[in-house]
Amino acid sequence: MIDNPCILNDVTRCIGCEECVAACKKINGMPVEDGPPRLGHSKDGLSATRWTSIFRRPDEVSVRKQCRHCFEPACVSVCPVGALIKTPEGPVIYDKAICMGCRYCMMGCPYGIPHYEWNSINPSVRKCILCYDKLKSGEIDKPACVNACPKEATTFGSQEEMLAEARRRLAAEPEKYIQHIWGEHEVGGTSVIYISHVDLGFLAWQDKKYLGTEPLPDRTWAALKKVPLEFLGMASFMTATWWVIDRRMRLAAEAPGEKVTEAPETTEDEGGER
Amino acid sequence: MTRRVQITKGILWFITGLAAAVTIIRFTRGLGTTTALSDTTPWGLWVGFDVMGGVALAAGGFVIGAIAHVFKRDKYHHAVRPAILTALLGYAAVAVGLLFDLGLPWNIWHALIFWNPQSPLFEVAWCVMIYLTILFLEFLPVFLERTRFQALYRILLRMQLPLIILGISVSTLHQSSLGTLLLIMPFRLHPLWYTPHLPELFFVSAICLGLSMVIFESSVTAWLYKRKPNTDMLSGLARFAAGALALYLAFRLFDLWHHDKIGLAFEGSFEARLFWFEMGLSTIVPLVLFLIPKVRRSHTGVFIASSMGLMGFLLYRIDASGLAQVWATRTDYFPMWTEFAVSFGIVSFFALIYLFIQEHFPVEHEILDEEEKWRQRQLFVLPRFDRLTQVWLGDPTFASRRVYSLVFVVALVLGLTSTPWQPLVEASPVQRARGGDILKVGFPIGTVAFPHAEHVKRLGKEACGTCHHLHLPGDVGTPCSECHSDLYLPTRLFDHFRHVGLLGENASCERCHPKEGPRIGVTAKKCSSCHEKDMMAENQVVKTFEYLTAPGLSQAAHGICIECHKREATNPEWGKPDLFRCATCHRTPVSHGDVVLEASLEEIEDEVLQ
Repeated sequence: MIDNPCILNDVTRCIGCEECVAACKKINGMPVEDGPPRLGHSKDGLSATRWTSIFRRPDEVSVRKQCRHCFEPACVSVCPVGALIKTPEGPVIYDKAICMGCRYCMMGCPYGIPHYEWNSINPSVRKCILCYDKLKSGEIDKPACVNACPKEATTFGSQEEMLAEARRRLAAEPEKYIQHIWGEHEVGGTSVIYISHVDLGFLAWQDKKYLGTEPLPDRTWAALKKVPLEFLGMASFMTATWWVIDRRMRLAAEAPGEKVTEAPETTEDEGGER
Repeated sequence: MTRRVQITKGILWFITGLAAAVTIIRFTRGLGTTTALSDTTPWGLWVGFDVMGGVALAAGGFVIGAIAHVFKRDKYHHAVRPAILTALLGYAAVAVGLLFDLGLPWNIWHALIFWNPQSPLFEVAWCVMIYLTILFLEFLPVFLERTRFQALYRILLRMQLPLIILGISVSTLHQSSLGTLLLIMPFRLHPLWYTPHLPELFFVSAICLGLSMVIFESSVTAWLYKRKPNTDMLSGLARFAAGALALYLAFRLFDLWHHDKIGLAFEGSFEARLFWFEMGLSTIVPLVLFLIPKVRRSHTGVFIASSMGLMGFLLYRIDASGLAQVWATRTDYFPMWTEFAVSFGIVSFFALIYLFIQEHFPVEHEILDEEEKWRQRQLFVLPRFDRLTQVWLGDPTFASRRVYSLVFVVALVLGLTSTPWQPLVEASPVQRARGGDILKVGFPIGTVAFPHAEHVKRLGKEACGTCHHLHLPGDVGTPCSECHSDLYLPTRLFDHFRHVGLLGENASCERCHPKEGPRIGVTAKKCSSCHEKDMMAENQVVKTFEYLTAPGLSQAAHGICIECHKREATNPEWGKPDLFRCATCHRTPVSHGDVVLEASLEEIEDEVLQ
């Protein structure tokens, strides 16, 4: 398996035939027909049995949606037990044996990719795994969806090759494309990149805002790395406060005739300390 | 035990009974049946209320611990034990709530052995486990006080202060880490709630919520057991609460101002109104109330202010973990009643445990003494004899237990019978498909074009049964949608109720069902035995009706129409229209979400008539 595998989706070439969807369902052994949609299902068509979908947009624009396999995936960082794994090669995969089913990955993903088997009593989180096991064993040389595409709207190669190819297309037909490669830098970069003639902000939650290049895990880590310090700080602050107050009260009790002083007023609440 | 306590316990048992019913269905049918959660809203009431809210409700334990033991305010010592008990039970309730919410609850122990220190939830999980242990050790003396394990009791009392300081530190961590949880969602959470200071805000709000809870709970217990509320302590706590609320208000507004988001609060959007409602309920009104000395000294006053604060801060948690994300997901979520039943049921169950411990262990000595006196008196009360049923009801304690059991069982049955057993799906009744030669008439978007005459011409008259396979009485040219009336859900075809009504109510069972044997659909007479005249006779293709349900239109169309068109695709004359090409019918999204059957008339017409 190549390192840094990458899928380049060219929105201008997609005709929306859904061959990729069918191929994905076949290789992953999922039913061809999705069951009835659950109330509040994803509008992009993804579900636990549909790991890639064609998101229909106005003016006959079809955009293929799938897991982006971020370089610094939010889902992997938030999983408390590490059931989602960023493999050394690149794809983000899922280990059912470890999962607790907290669904934090679904909340954390900026693209709303992980989906859940709501109707199962032994449910799994489901999402595209970039055909990781089959690519690794050498059974196939490119993901099933890429193989199935009749228009080469979705192509597969290493990250460098795909970025070069994307730049080549952008340069070759500058009037056809928006000069931006979606996924090159967003949330720290993703392994599934897009070039398009329409804005692709809608692939993420809250489509009006640019995602920014900062990887999402950095945001939680900024708070989490302070945890040991906070713990020690709060513990020593509390001990010190107790010691001061205790000593003052004992001294006051020993000195006859003096009134026992109340604790100082700095102690309204601990929130001020942080 | 006062009448109030008895009635309250009855209500709590009722809610617990409902929750017990939902529990059965939750663990046999899955999350899909008992919640309105979906892929766009994976966290709902159970996370927002039970976990996020529950942990903060239990914050009273560490706040009162700090006030009484670290800052040595002796008059609050009375509040320590109830607050620690609330915290202990609160955290236990959170753990139970998690078992409901986790998709794979039997894997909850994985948090112990599979580590991912990068995850805020990992940190929360560990802190909660540690703090639950600390709380247990803090509370253990109450169980031991009147037993013979005095040595252990004294050791634990000596450990009290270090334990409390450890508890405060651990609480600081996970109360703020609950806010950290949401830091990963800048694109889901509305900017009025999202800020890098979420951890700090969650910590301060936990202090507010904890104090409100302690005030609320001691005024409620005072009311329940008809004791004089400790006004001195309550008003003191109210002063602390006012301080914490002021700090929270200032922090929240400063944060908005600092990030230049104040304008968003005056936008008039749903989120802006939600923000002000939440701020008013949680902070502004309770703060004003707590600042008035007269309110602080009034039992009712602190009760009202603290319950408002309670609801307001719970709403803050629910907003942050869900309501304020609707803005990004654009999908509504309203909890099913089963979710409410479980949330309130867990609270009720733990409230019952709380009352039990209050009545049997020295949490508040006055209550225990009162209860013990009451129990003593009961020994001399004659058992009651019920003349109607000719049963000895036993002493009042026993009698009330019987009532609780009855209430519980009634609620359980009520819950089991009214809980849905099937998951929520989007019902999508199809618009009536047209039979006959509709190609000649213009038709609205959303109907299925079905050239009936064309089918008859090509398939021959014998083939009616291929499609009219359900063979209902009077089924001559029934449009598909008559039976396949939902796009996805099967439709019940046989109207039993109508038959019973027409045939003579209960006396008529045997007209269709056998005298002996079960009276079910399988054993019933075939429809044709009565409806001979208005049903086609059985022949090679037309089978006697033996179905009770028809599949949804989507399944029927994909199963019958498309299959047949596929088979005939090789026939140059018959192959049209190209039904196995999705786009023939689904002009807009074919993805299962928004299936719109928008067969373009002109195209199909062209193809058919070519």
